Amino acid sequence: MKDKRCEPVRRELEELMLSEDFSAATGAHLRTCTDCREFQRQQTKLRQIVGGLGTVNAPPDFDFRLRARLVADAEAPSFRFWTFTVKGLATAAVLVVFGVGAIVVWQRGHEPQSPAVAVTPPPQVEQPVLREEPNRTASTDAHEHFVTSVIADNATPSRRKPERQRVASTPKRTVSSVDFSSERATVISNTRPAVNNATVIPIEASLQSVKVSLDDGRGNERTISFPTVSFGSQRVLTSANQFAPKGAW
Amino acid sequence: MAVRMIKQTAIIVVLALACSMAMAQTPAPSPKRPEVRVAQRPSAPQVVTIVHRLNGLKMFRMLLRSQQQVQAINSLETNFSLMDDVHTNVIAGVTMDDGETIAAWLPEANLEFAPPGVAGSFGESPYPDFKFRLSDPPDVSVFGPDGKQLAAKYVGFDATTGLSILVLDAKSSLPPSTAKDEPVTPGENVVLFGPEPITNTQSLLDNNNLYVRIGSTAGRIQNVLPSPTGEVARLRVSAPRLSHANIGGVALNEAGETVGIVDGLLGNEATVLPTASIRRAAQRVLKNRSSVPRAWLGVKGEAVSTLQLTQFLNLGWAADRAATLTGEHRGIMLTSIVPGSPAARALLRAGDVILKVDDKEIQNADDFTWWLDQAGAANSVRFTVARPNQLAQEAFNIRLSGILDPAAGFGFRNSFPLNKGLSLLSQGAETIALRPAVANQLGTTAGLLIIYVQSGTPAAEAGLRPGDVIQSIDGKPVSALNRTTQLKPPMTLQVMRAKEKLTIKLSPPTQQQ
Repeated sequence: MKDKRCEPVRRELEELMLSEDFSAATGAHLRTCTDCREFQRQQTKLRQIVGGLGTVNAPPDFDFRLRARLVADAEAPSFRFWTFTVKGLATAAVLVVFGVGAIVVWQRGHEPQSPAVAVTPPPQVEQPVLREEPNRTASTDAHEHFVTSVIADNATPSRRKPERQRVASTPKRTVSSVDFSSERATVISNTRPAVNNATVIPIEASLQSVKVSLDDGRGNERTISFPTVSFGSQRVLTSANQFAPKGAW
Repeated sequence: MAVRMIKQTAIIVVLALACSMAMAQTPAPSPKRPEVRVAQRPSAPQVVTIVHRLNGLKMFRMLLRSQQQVQAINSLETNFSLMDDVHTNVIAGVTMDDGETIAAWLPEANLEFAPPGVAGSFGESPYPDFKFRLSDPPDVSVFGPDGKQLAAKYVGFDATTGLSILVLDAKSSLPPSTAKDEPVTPGENVVLFGPEPITNTQSLLDNNNLYVRIGSTAGRIQNVLPSPTGEVARLRVSAPRLSHANIGGVALNEAGETVGIVDGLLGNEATVLPTASIRRAAQRVLKNRSSVPRAWLGVKGEAVSTLQLTQFLNLGWAADRAATLTGEHRGIMLTSIVPGSPAARALLRAGDVILKVDDKEIQNADDFTWWLDQAGAANSVRFTVARPNQLAQEAFNIRLSGILDPAAGFGFRNSFPLNKGLSLLSQGAETIALRPAVANQLGTTAGLLIIYVQSGTPAAEAGLRPGDVIQSIDGKPVSALNRTTQLKPPMTLQVMRAKEKLTIKLSPPTQQQ
């Protein structure tokens, strides 16, 4: 039967490390509470199972695949969420303006004019829009100029055109408390093509990984998989040979 | 009244919306996004892309020389071929001031050379003409900044720096570039250039083509590590999101001058080999017209400053003398000696502490490495040594040997121990056992597949070639020989070469060899 003490006891049991002992109060409670004893037994067993698991090594081409993914992410069009948000806001604003306009028109059509209504100047509704327009244009121009220069710097021309149009028409994304759980992770990208007309080099190579089954001489068989392409010093296998090793002369 | 309220509310709503949109237009600084200064990124006309291809035989070398315990190949994928490309490494290279010499940190360059343990690859070679020659030219292609392939020749490997040196044909030479030797100051901005895959295409592999371009990563020099002589030994550059793919990348400063080549990673920092070291490496290799080994003593050890007193006591040191040594924070404690090495021949022992190299005080491991590298292979060096069992320091004049891979004497993890067991390494051939299924797949028979033959050795003199499969030795099938069998010439080998049976006699080294 659970009582008020069960909850703190179970919290303590959940937070315990495998090698730690619980407090005297918890021990006393466990002696009297069957449910908590069972809970403690299950927790201990679970930790033992988890603790007994071996470490998992990343596949040898993990580094390559990660980098490739990062590059792909870095090149993917950004501001997607904001694009959506702006469109949504703009649509909402238009709907509100139309709604208000419709109400005003309806009211004007169905009510006698009064001095109070006449005082409300219609341009006040339009004014922000009219004032905003040049600002927005200037901002967009500046942004577009920025984006253009970045793209000119990034430059894989044929692939960039649609992106440029999309990015140029959207404002810069600001940091806010937005749920990105459904979005692709933003890459803090500091990698970019090196030169304005970044040259693309086609290299004849297969990206299929190669598998080899080995015998270690003690009757053990292992299958090793290694990538067929590596960049930089992504070692395909952990090599015993190291140039300039520490401690060997 | 109600109408007025509705209107006012509507105006407020519209104004609020307009304000929020206007605010959204204003870019806010992102604390997460690092500053990227596009305008200051230099172009990199001196950076080339190097493609190093390895065929099936070289991949077998990689397996055998790796930390994997390998005795035999049990099975392969159906598309595996001994002579076709199995692995491709893509890395940056930098052209030197002359526009023709290229330096690159090829991570698999060691597969082009003799394996550790092959006759003469370290210690005193029994073959005077052993010069770390390439048995076959590496399959290396160079692509210029404009993406065009350039005709180039691999000249050799510099073991001191780990750099490979290539030379472009005169017709393919690039415009001379500028290099910044010194001074390099901490805080200076650099850009790391290196090839990267383009993966935003719908299909990464278009007709089996991998698309690559030179990418760049902005970084900053954090530290300048001086050598004992005051030169720049290494630079440490911090940059976001570094990975091993950045190793081999070329570091340029904002003026577009070459600062160095990335040759390692330490956490979030890259270590950069400075331009002066690259230039010296190129000069060594070009002068030698082949690979240049680094000086080799044949010891393993640790700096005294990093050791505990108990480690001294375990190696026979008296407590008071050990305390004095550890208090001085100088010297290298030897922990093991490679049999047959210059250190072993000079009777250095584990527990000895090297205090000086040619009268230069040794403070740490980097000092020791620096002074040995300065001395160079095949030169004599005077070591001042403190020993556990004698009060006076002792001086040793030792002629250093040369080796491409100093770890080789210790790190050789092939299941065949060095120079003993069923191995032809002492005869100059590296082999791996093939199971029947694999042999059938490769169009040959089961036995010992030769994956490397060192020129100038008995194996090469007898005519053995990579790709040959040894079926029997002195009439006994290879499968019937156990691993403790000592193989010593003269031997008669039955060999399969391209479905043809050959008999090859392996003789002891002649006097000339």
